[in-house]
Amino acid sequence: MSISIFQNSKNVFLDTVHAKDYIQLDRVSTIYQSLKDSIKKPLKMVLLYGKPGTGKSMFLTKLYHDLSSSQSVYLYKTPILDDSEFFKTLAQDIFSVHYRGELNFTQFMKIVNNTELNTVPVILLDEAQLYSPELMEKIRLLSDTRTIKFVITLHKTEKEDLIAKEHFQTRIWESIELENSSAEELKIYIQKKLMKANCFDTANMFNSKSVKLIHKLTNGNYRDTNKLLYTMFDIYTIYLNNQNLPINTNKVSNKIIEMAAIHTGLINA
Amino acid sequence: MLNVNELEQRWKRYKIKSFIPYIIISISLIIIFIIIFLFVSKEEPVLKHNDASINPKIKETKTLNFKPSTKIQDVTDVQKQEDATKKKLTFTPSYNFVQNIQDEKETQTITKPISKKPVIIQEDRNIPTEILPEPTITPIQPLKVQEPEEKDNTINITRKTTKTDISEVIKRFNKSNNPALSLFIAKKYYELGEYRKSYNYALITNEINNDIESSWIIFAKSLVMLGEKDQAIETLQKYIKHSNSNRATALLDRIKSGKFK
Repeated sequence: MSISIFQNSKNVFLDTVHAKDYIQLDRVSTIYQSLKDSIKKPLKMVLLYGKPGTGKSMFLTKLYHDLSSSQSVYLYKTPILDDSEFFKTLAQDIFSVHYRGELNFTQFMKIVNNTELNTVPVILLDEAQLYSPELMEKIRLLSDTRTIKFVITLHKTEKEDLIAKEHFQTRIWESIELENSSAEELKIYIQKKLMKANCFDTANMFNSKSVKLIHKLTNGNYRDTNKLLYTMFDIYTIYLNNQNLPINTNKVSNKIIEMAAIHTGLINA
Repeated sequence: MLNVNELEQRWKRYKIKSFIPYIIISISLIIIFIIIFLFVSKEEPVLKHNDASINPKIKETKTLNFKPSTKIQDVTDVQKQEDATKKKLTFTPSYNFVQNIQDEKETQTITKPISKKPVIIQEDRNIPTEILPEPTITPIQPLKVQEPEEKDNTINITRKTTKTDISEVIKRFNKSNNPALSLFIAKKYYELGEYRKSYNYALITNEINNDIESSWIIFAKSLVMLGEKDQAIETLQKYIKHSNSNRATALLDRIKSGKFK
């Protein structure tokens, strides 16, 4: 097996969020479909929550990618923490109003009320747990006007659950939870990801036993799995470059998986 | 670029660390096994010791075997013990010999003089082989006389006359309050010349069951030995009046005539 295959395999697991990298898994597809359906309904807000690395950002990116051709969708991957800047950005993107100077919530509401839109725009806010409670309250009031739909993602922590309960409980039309994958799902995820990049040989290296070990180390978390496999293929590349180091390329070595886990901090050694 | 060598070292340390619990469990199991083994092996010497304590007696028994043919046997050691305790050997096939020592006339006894020379023992066909009724079946007996085998007509005698044995029987008596045991103790003390103790135990036996002839006999004999001849005669007379015991009558006659000393 050539070094380039391992090099390519390594790059497959770079922790980036691209719609093209989205891997269709049965359970994930069902959730995604329900999210898409909920967008079509007359909702005020959709809450997408889950632990870090469960694919919330990927979901949002995929949703943006799928909806952008048919309706006005705006994705904000990085939170805009300043109130004025947030409303100015929305005014510019949705209503094409370039506002100079400070734009407060009252001024922005005037713009919203004075402008008629053919379709209800969808605002996708990633990492919404970073917004201040005051700004979240303003977003709530804005969604109440039904002129703008919001899909927000939150990390599932106690605090964030509280935000969801206190600010959005009565307004959220739907809340969707994303979870870590099972061992079987993880195997499909890894193999599909590799095969998508034409790395068939490395995809075949993963058997149920090695995937179980990976699942045990990452707890089925997609981000941790990406990190682990990136490092693992990096180690394989180094082994293949160094002729003195013996390596079996027929199947994934548990030793290499554990070495990668040590390097990424999944194993405390 | 990753330092694979350093990573391998860390991996090796991790693997060793991950095996530590298994190693600890294995070592613990081995230690437990060793402790159990040592514990069991400690038990064995005790058993061996017991065997050793029994064996000499068995050997001793062999030296006292009586065979039809005339044999020369060295019984000096046995005789020394007998002399020390002023004990008379009773050659009966039953361990109920103790009953026989009460009255020399009733049972045939052989009192051997101390002799450093080997004793020539000739077969005595007149040795009574009658088995007297046993007061109780006790696993530990001071003197065990085995039934002679018909083929070689051999008599095996097992001796156990130490005070330890008596104390063991006393313990058992204290637990069970069996008159047979107290009677046995009384007889043993009488044998050992401890007449006050034999008197006491005969009295205790009598309190438990006053129909046991032997307890009256030992009681009277102990009184005589303690210098209470008149009281012994009085006691025996009362008992004879009550029971018409031939043994008691015979003993009374002997005490009165001064033959019993």
